[in-house]
Amino acid sequence: MNNAVLNSATQDIVVDEVFPHAPETIWKTLTTGELIARWLMEPHGFAPIKGTRFTYQTRPAGAWDGTIHCEVLEVVTNERLAYAWQGGHESNSGYGSRLDTVVTFTLTKVAGGTRLKLVHSGFVTPTNDTAFRNMSDGWRKVVPALGNFTGGPH
Amino acid sequence: MLRTARLDTVMRTLADPTRRAVFERIARAREISVVDLTKGSGVTQSAISQHLGSLRRAGLVAHRAQGRNVFYRADPKGLAPLVDWMDHYGAFWRKRFADLRTLLEEIDP
Repeated sequence: MNNAVLNSATQDIVVDEVFPHAPETIWKTLTTGELIARWLMEPHGFAPIKGTRFTYQTRPAGAWDGTIHCEVLEVVTNERLAYAWQGGHESNSGYGSRLDTVVTFTLTKVAGGTRLKLVHSGFVTPTNDTAFRNMSDGWRKVVPALGNFTGGPH
Repeated sequence: MLRTARLDTVMRTLADPTRRAVFERIARAREISVVDLTKGSGVTQSAISQHLGSLRRAGLVAHRAQGRNVFYRADPKGLAPLVDWMDHYGAFWRKRFADLRTLLEEIDP
């Protein structure tokens, strides 16, 4: 076991799709509580105003009650919405572990519709820089091989 | 045997290239004996045993003894700290985007 100093690196999840609808229509589904509930989850206390705190209720795990705590960070009507997405508990690992992330929706008008890009950022993976570089190839090989095991219910 | 490894322990354990190679061979095989692991590894059985000890303590592998042989297999719980949240949200957002598409078709046909 080496004593390499571990730094923090973060990773993002990105989903990027074009929808055959106007940005204004999509914006409504991102910023109206009743509509958010119909495709994402029911938000409690949401308003598209910077600084608003709201929550989503998800599956509990261990010492964590499953509440996602959010705070609106940025609102640019029909273009950009970002909110903090925090939850989990230090005593958990894997699903339910401490989570301090940001969700950002970006809308761009394109021919025939709107491109909606979601970036869920800030998943922390403590790493040794060199180790992480060395590892990233290894993971691509190993993780699919373990798909049978890790694909279980969440 | 099934204790969940902390993320940094997993990362540290896999930072060593030889140990990582050992782990990858175990992960690819359903189960592999220490003798077979040593063959073609270019290192001694005692070195392999040390790496296996680290992988075991990190919760990355499980083992069983059969006669004079010891067999190793990957223990997916050891990888959970790395993949669970991202795995969860990767699937979550893709599914939600599909639901959003359906909702949009409904409200803006």
